[in-house]
Amino acid sequence: MEDEKDYALPGFDTEAKDNSRRNFLKQSTLLTAVALTPGTAIKAADMRLDEKIAEAFEKMPIKLEVNGVAHSLSVEPRATLLDILREQLDLTGTKKGCDHGQCGACTVHIDGHRVNSCLTLGVMASGKKITTIEGLAKGDELHPMQEAFLKHDGFQCGYCTPGQIMSAVACIREGHANSEMEIREYMSGNICRCGAYPNIVNAIQEVKEGAQAV
Amino acid sequence: MKAFQYTRATTQQSAIDAIAKPGTKIIAGGTNLIDLMKRGVIAPDKLVDINQLPLNSISVNKLGHLHIGALALNSAVAEANLVKDLQPLLAMALNAGASPQLRNMATVGGNMMQRTRCAYFYDTTMPCNKREPGSGCGAIGGYSRMHAIFGASDKCIAVHPSDMCVALAALDATVTVSGRKGQRLIPFTEFHRLPGEHPEMDNTLAPGELITGISIPHNNFAKNSYYLKIRDRQSYAFALTSVAAALEISNGTIKQARLAMGGVAHKPWRLFDAEKALVGKPATEESFKQVAEIAMQGAKAYEYNKFKLKLAPATLVEALKHAAGLV
Amino acid sequence: MTNDTMTKGMSRIDGRLKVTGAARYSAEFTPAGMVYAVLVGSTITKGTIRSIDTKAAEKAPGVLAVITHINSPKIAGYQVEPGKQEPAKGTYKLFYNNKILFNGQPIAVVIANTFERAQYAASLVKAQYNAETYQTKLADNTAKAFAPEGDGKKTRGIADAWKTAPVKLEQEYIIPSESHSPMELHAIIAKWDAPDKLTVWTKTQGVQDTQDGIANIFKLPKANIQVNSKFVGGAFGSALQVWPHEVAAILAAQVVKRPVKLVLGRADMFTSVGYRPNTWQKIGIGATTDGKLVGITHEAAGQTSTYEDFNEDPVGVSRSTYACPNVNTVYKISPLDIGSPTWMRGPGEATGAFALESALDELAYALNIDPIELRIINNAETDPDSGKPFSSKYLKEAYKLGADSIGWSDRKAKPASLSKNGWLVGYGMGVGMFGAYRDKASAKAIMMANGTLIIQTAVSDIGPGTGTAMVTIASDIMGIPADRIRFDMGDSSLPQAPSQGGSSTTATVGSAVYQACTDLKESFQKLIGNGGTDKPDYVEVLKKNDLPKLEVTAAVSGGPEMEKYAMYSWSVHFIKVLVHPATGVVKVDKAVCVADSGHIVSPKTARSQIVGGAIGGIGMALMEEVIIDHRYGRLVNNSFADYHLPVNADIPQIEALFVNKPDPYLNPMGAKGMGEIALIGMAAAVANAVFNATGKRIRELPITPDKLVGMEDLLES
Ligand SMILES: Cc1cc2nc3c(=O)[nH]c(=O)nc-3n(C[C@H](O)[C@H](O)[C@H](O)COP(=O)(O)OP(=O)(O)OC[C@H]3O[C@@H](n4cnc5c(N)ncnc54)[C@H](O)[C@@H]3O)c2cc1C
Ligand code: SF4
Ligand code: FES
Ligand code: FES
Repeated sequence: MEDEKDYALPGFDTEAKDNSRRNFLKQSTLLTAVALTPGTAIKAADMRLDEKIAEAFEKMPIKLEVNGVAHSLSVEPRATLLDILREQLDLTGTKKGCDHGQCGACTVHIDGHRVNSCLTLGVMASGKKITTIEGLAKGDELHPMQEAFLKHDGFQCGYCTPGQIMSAVACIREGHANSEMEIREYMSGNICRCGAYPNIVNAIQEVKEGAQAV
Repeated sequence: MKAFQYTRATTQQSAIDAIAKPGTKIIAGGTNLIDLMKRGVIAPDKLVDINQLPLNSISVNKLGHLHIGALALNSAVAEANLVKDLQPLLAMALNAGASPQLRNMATVGGNMMQRTRCAYFYDTTMPCNKREPGSGCGAIGGYSRMHAIFGASDKCIAVHPSDMCVALAALDATVTVSGRKGQRLIPFTEFHRLPGEHPEMDNTLAPGELITGISIPHNNFAKNSYYLKIRDRQSYAFALTSVAAALEISNGTIKQARLAMGGVAHKPWRLFDAEKALVGKPATEESFKQVAEIAMQGAKAYEYNKFKLKLAPATLVEALKHAAGLV
Repeated sequence: MTNDTMTKGMSRIDGRLKVTGAARYSAEFTPAGMVYAVLVGSTITKGTIRSIDTKAAEKAPGVLAVITHINSPKIAGYQVEPGKQEPAKGTYKLFYNNKILFNGQPIAVVIANTFERAQYAASLVKAQYNAETYQTKLADNTAKAFAPEGDGKKTRGIADAWKTAPVKLEQEYIIPSESHSPMELHAIIAKWDAPDKLTVWTKTQGVQDTQDGIANIFKLPKANIQVNSKFVGGAFGSALQVWPHEVAAILAAQVVKRPVKLVLGRADMFTSVGYRPNTWQKIGIGATTDGKLVGITHEAAGQTSTYEDFNEDPVGVSRSTYACPNVNTVYKISPLDIGSPTWMRGPGEATGAFALESALDELAYALNIDPIELRIINNAETDPDSGKPFSSKYLKEAYKLGADSIGWSDRKAKPASLSKNGWLVGYGMGVGMFGAYRDKASAKAIMMANGTLIIQTAVSDIGPGTGTAMVTIASDIMGIPADRIRFDMGDSSLPQAPSQGGSSTTATVGSAVYQACTDLKESFQKLIGNGGTDKPDYVEVLKKNDLPKLEVTAAVSGGPEMEKYAMYSWSVHFIKVLVHPATGVVKVDKAVCVADSGHIVSPKTARSQIVGGAIGGIGMALMEEVIIDHRYGRLVNNSFADYHLPVNADIPQIEALFVNKPDPYLNPMGAKGMGEIALIGMAAAVANAVFNATGKRIRELPITPDKLVGMEDLLES
């Protein structure tokens, strides 16, 4: 997100009051850690140093390699990998369907394994390799699974689709795509309300039987 | 979610030291903890990530005892050849739980420690003795469909949601834990507890103790075991009832049996009496129906879970039929 | 359609964006300076807010504002004109006063500079209430039900004539509330471009209806509101109106003077964007011994909120599905202290068809007549309700197609006579019908100098593949390949189009696209002169005439035929189930859905739409149920772990078959809708199959194992 100070809406009073920073600084128990006297704290707030302090005490530096690109970020420990991808890295291909591990829309690969990024803290993924739907195609050349989803119409609204595709690729790599029944079971962590299941199964079967590496 | 501090433990001792402090929680896979934190059910000040600890091995010793580290992933355990060969019941139970993605995150220790899925426990605006001792039990007199029929108390009727634990209870596993006072072993069937007067306590792990692993003694059940889970949809749902059944059959006669039920109690519900009754009996549906009656002694249902009085024995008979190769 | 033919046909025009993650849904834009809003819901069901403590939230890190009914700016459209009375009913007004009308009602919105901070701060807002007694249970309140229109009664012939029939039955059927639960959470980003100019990215089935809705609420000129909704992650009826959370985001953006993003949590999705209402129904049905229907009486009572009357006429199906001389229906709604229901895929008809198609099945057993045969005996050749001829109806063909495909001849009339590997096997079927509509719409067709055709219309696509169908129509008329056609939609500034709903998009917007392309081609032919050619070289013609482009806008509406004919789409669902006798587990083994929905414009997406609707129907039949703890008036299964939608393991291959005969009157393509009929009738088909397998009739959905457990004796006998 860009610096808020630089942002002003046309036609509005540009002096939008933002007391929250100051309030935060006055309240924050973390400040005891830096042993600032209340006076200094308020001064710090007035100097808008609070975000910098928050940066140091509320946030942690992490390194994520996402789709082959290294990112050094500063995140709050409570930020999930899903929200970091979507809100900080603008990688919105990974979807939020429930935020509680109950739908699979947020499926990504961490070090090659499919996981729910909504239940993964960003700080826990630090140092790991993450692949999202945006990292599957090689340039303009779609991944075979993406091609198969297109061909078999493995989606309608497309919202569960990135998660389905990430899961489908993993399903084959794990060796769980040996029969229709097995695919159905091992794709059950990805809910599709539009009801594209049979088409998804067909797409996976075709990729599995095809010669292309997955 | 409340802000918290996050640290990584690099040694077992540092993890144990860290969790000795109140407000500090271990995080392993995070699949239950983060969910609960998002809903404000628990709000630790500090999380200690134990994933760096070397506790994820799966090995077998000379006696054929299987040892599994607390950080072994549910998927890794389910896929391990050692497990599939020696204790297929455990692999089956694991594969019946959650989803492939969640099993790739969830650890053995975390799975044992997962909290109940009781809706009232999850909704912080509702009464729940487990979440907030003394606030009452929302499920009693409420929507009790997923709740216990065995061993409940007037304080709590929740069930333990794990599948893995049902198999481990049946297989006479032992839990290894480490704390400031050193290591101790807890028989699996004594790890989880009944709610009694203190539903806030799920298990007998002492504060500040870390689960380091589980072991399963050698047995001869590999050929005749089965995990059957009945749920509202075919996958990715918690059990209405489930049964872990392990048999040793010789010439059609049952020599040994291990049985545990899930979805019916605050802990994996081991069926000792039914096991005993099976020994010496022919491995037939007749025998299974007889022991199902024994298994159900003492069951008590609530308003919305009366069906479990029929479903639990039916699940038991079916699981036994599968284990015995009758279906 | 076989596996083979279904992969042929055009792939979705937006498919590439969807499979690469490049498609951006409403929450996925980042206007500069954007901040995050999170709603706080009431924890009581009815009463008033005594006080609300926002201090802790306001002081929390990153918080920019907390808005409640106390400090909310006045919303112009909510205000009652001086001298006028507050209307007794109307859409719920956000932060309007201290009244609580339902549990989970938004009582505050917290805005902070990150999502995490907003969410945490929202948990710090605490309200004190004066709670009042409330009613949330339909079963206890059917007596209070009133008719949403007139006396709620409609009679054709003699009322209650079924009672005089030689073979008759009367039964009650109940469906619980169901949640739309699209996978995409409802989301909005609101950005004020000027004090009276607004841009929103929001999940909606109709950008222009949302534009109207916002204009009314905020009393802004419509032209000052830009609504964007290019990709919609499913909706099924949940995005047909402006909801309170959208108002909250717009308000929040006004207060903090920054763009605001608000995404509902999954739990809120169960209380804040409508649901299919819990409905009680009773059907009395009677026939002569040879199966001719004598009479049907169909009563229904559905739930609504205390502040809005939701009317979906579930009993209508009994008036129009079969030829029956005497039909009387009664429909009432019962106001409860719950948020308002709304249209959900197959609204009314899906509810009604569960009762009617179950009752017909029961009647078939009572008569000892095959259920298909019974339906053929009573096939309506003209619309029994209006007396008008049908514009097209090939239902009899559909029965045959489906029966052959499912293997109906393997079915045994006597329940519980078939089994396979320890599972009971049963077959069932059910019919769906839904009015085929056509509304007003406009489309612009632009031929560019480089030969690219651009089609523009303000329609939304919630998943069925509208763009794909529109491009197919354009491609057919213009004689150019689909990849030369760009389709612009989901933008309120484009030519007029109605909301996507009621299965009418292809008929309505398709007609506009058809007309625009036809007119455009004609313009080219005029330029060419001499009657032109059938396959003009558009690039050449533009070049020759020194034109950068040629464009045409066409506005169309339904023709007079709509008055002359009764227009419906029809479906027949066939289901084969396996039921485990001891545990009561039901598995759908095979499903065949036949649609009589006119000419199929886009076969591949059409098939998916039928399959998807069928899966929705299977969910309705087997697992979906919103559960309220009436002691608190609060939902206890407002999550995807507890409210079960079908997962992949629940769903077999589903055969989607099309009669594929054009409707001669509805529109030039001959297409009728199919989004609704894909689901309508399915729940009964499943229940009927379960009966055939077990002899147990389940009249209250969903059919979960607890309702069937303990039938092991069936297999032994
Ligand atoms: C949607 C959904 C569906 C699910 N379905 C099922 C199902 O069908 N069957 C089933 O069995 N499970 C199911 N689960 C639960 C899942 O199996 C558990 O969440 C998981 O096993 C927990 O493991 P974890 O490593 O992620 O634990 P965490 O979330 O990291 O931790 C859980 C708890 O254990 C403690 N803990 C973790 N490791 C240790 C240790 N070594 N020593 C001491 N304490 C420790 C933590 O402090 C925390 O309190 C489901 C979960 C979700 C979200
Ligand atoms: S059953 Fe236990 S967990 Fe559920 S509400 Fe009662 S006390 Fe809480
Ligand atoms: S968003 Fe992560 S599983 Fe639903
Ligand atoms: S494609 Fe819409 S949810 Fe799967």
